[in-house]
Amino acid sequence: MAQPRISAYLPPDIDPTKAALAFGRRALPKLNEELQSPELLTQQRALMALCDLVHDPEKVYQAIALGFLDSLKTLLVHQDQTVRQKTTEVLSIMALHSIGREGLIRSGVISALTGLLDDPVDVSRKNTHQIFDMLAKLPEGAGGVLQAGLIPPLVLKLKTELDEIQELILGTLSNCLRVEVSEALAAGAVTVLKEKLSHPSTAIRSKAAWVLLEISSHAEGKIAVCKEEVIPVLLSLLEDTQPEVQVSSTGALMFALVTPQGRSSAMGAEAIPALLTLVAEETSKARLNAIKALTLLAELPEGRQTLLDHRDTFQRCLDDPSEAVQRAAEIAITVIDWKP
Amino acid sequence: VVPVRAPELTAPADGPYSFSSQPRSLPPRPKYRQQSNAAETEKGPVRYGNIMIDPRVVRGNVLSVRPPPPQVLGTEPHTLEVKRQRRAQKQILARKFTREQDQPGTPEPVEGREHVHVQTELYLEEISDRIIEVDGECQTDEFLDRPPTPLFIPAKSGKDVATQIKEGELFDFDIEVKPILEVLVGKTVEQALLEVMEEEELAQLWSHQRAFAELRNAEFAELQRLEEQDRRIREEKERRRLEHLEKLRKQKETAEKIAARAFAQRYLADLIPSVFNNLHDSGFFYDPIERDIETEFLPWLMSEVEETLQKKVLGRTMLDSLIRMVVEKRLDEFSHPPPSAQTKAPAEEPGAADAAPKVSGEADAADQPVAEKEETDQPVAEEEPSDSTSSQLEE
Repeated sequence: MAQPRISAYLPPDIDPTKAALAFGRRALPKLNEELQSPELLTQQRALMALCDLVHDPEKVYQAIALGFLDSLKTLLVHQDQTVRQKTTEVLSIMALHSIGREGLIRSGVISALTGLLDDPVDVSRKNTHQIFDMLAKLPEGAGGVLQAGLIPPLVLKLKTELDEIQELILGTLSNCLRVEVSEALAAGAVTVLKEKLSHPSTAIRSKAAWVLLEISSHAEGKIAVCKEEVIPVLLSLLEDTQPEVQVSSTGALMFALVTPQGRSSAMGAEAIPALLTLVAEETSKARLNAIKALTLLAELPEGRQTLLDHRDTFQRCLDDPSEAVQRAAEIAITVIDWKP
Repeated sequence: VVPVRAPELTAPADGPYSFSSQPRSLPPRPKYRQQSNAAETEKGPVRYGNIMIDPRVVRGNVLSVRPPPPQVLGTEPHTLEVKRQRRAQKQILARKFTREQDQPGTPEPVEGREHVHVQTELYLEEISDRIIEVDGECQTDEFLDRPPTPLFIPAKSGKDVATQIKEGELFDFDIEVKPILEVLVGKTVEQALLEVMEEEELAQLWSHQRAFAELRNAEFAELQRLEEQDRRIREEKERRRLEHLEKLRKQKETAEKIAARAFAQRYLADLIPSVFNNLHDSGFFYDPIERDIETEFLPWLMSEVEETLQKKVLGRTMLDSLIRMVVEKRLDEFSHPPPSAQTKAPAEEPGAADAAPKVSGEADAADQPVAEKEETDQPVAEEEPSDSTSSQLEE
């Protein structure tokens, strides 16, 4: 009988784990049908082929237009772990493209992914968190994550997960908490983050400080941060060697010091010298944040007194190439010189 | 073929028959089923069948009554079957009858002998009612893949010819391979560049976003600081305003109190004198001696004076009456006597008149020492009205 295969020997460089792709426009529809087939091997091979195709943005657009996301959503709850892993990989690569992100948000993949937070396979969890991280960078994505009620589980996961996944979770949280902070506070995020501030890994420390920054940009977050006495810990991080950590912690301080209690606790913990060292460094990225934090402290009478002696540091900041730093330095000088 | 007779559809009106429908010959039952459309489109001349061989017509003796076959409810098929069976039986009988008449049979066996059927062919055959059946099967093989075609090596034919290509004769590998290599390497490098560019683009985007986030955070912090400041200042202002209002209120209250106090004082300053005046006016404060004098002394005095005056008046009245009497008497006396008495009368009269004023003068003189001549007071008082009456009388 005639067969499409000419010889019994397969061509030398074919990958037996991938499904055969149809030609041209027919490739993705055929893969869609194969994804819905009841046989496990077909589904796996189709997923492998899809993973490779999805790097191309045009294919992503076509896939979303064809309605791949619905079949992928059903595959997310498949029993076989390879299927789940590969599906999450496909979705995470899709989330790297803007069209993919929009499509994912629209079709409600976020709520479908909540079940995968407890997946036994590490790679699936990592991919899931990568998807959340990517999606949270968009405002609609952050809103979607909040609406799916993911913040309390994410905060809980923060205590137990692996390090690289923790980084992703922290990234997601920082983007989501920019919008709304009450759920996280209810889940006790500040305590967890306070522990993470003393983690050995740099990335985790800086990201945890960034999340604290986002929390304290809201009023109730500020109150929680002052209550949990995170400010002394943040001040100790100012002397950290890594610049990202310094940047994030000064940023968090900048927001937390707006409240009077924050300011008094900072003054009690001798914040001014540490911040001044940061301002004095010419190349520090944390300069802007440090200047802002010192401006806040300068509104207190004792702060103003101390800072009057260091006025020339701020004068030197006026020569910084960044315009924002110059503006901040001017404002700081005005505040220091203010007389009632 | 029966000559077709046109059916007489119209019955003679005055016929003796009373059929509901005219007796008519039925068309024959067609052998083949008619197609419905054929029957509709083509109604040719109606052919009548042979009544003699029509199975529908009852044969035999019509006059004798045959018992009807047992009829059960819904036995139409049964009746048909029964009829069929009967017909079949009759046919069998009829056939048997004819067959027996056709075939001459073997004569009957002689006494003591028996006819036996015997097979005389070469091979004996077992004759039985049951037909020997043997099941035979046939099955094609399961679908097999077509085996791979064997390598076809055609038989050698023709002459063997050999040729040898020496190095460098065909082509120069290095030159030929260059474009191919270029294409291969170029495509690979292009792909790699694309990937690297994509990653770089992503990294740029994230760093851009990060920078924006920093700026935004800084501005936001500034905003919050200003908000906080504004809030503090506003609170302070509000507090001061409230304090000031409180102060004003207290001031106003104090001023009002003072005003009220001053007014009350002024009002009340008059109060005591006016009260005392009123009381004084209404007679609450009195000098007891004056009171005493007024309440007791003066009325007594007045009554005494009145008494004295009454006495004087009485005296005068008496005097008047005395004078009158005298004058009347004299008048009487002088009216009777001669007119010489008349000069006396007028002289008396003026004398009386003089006497009257003199008396009144005396009375007046007597009036003045009031305390002493108490009795003359009353006549004086009486006299004066009597004087006026007497003077009126005279006039």
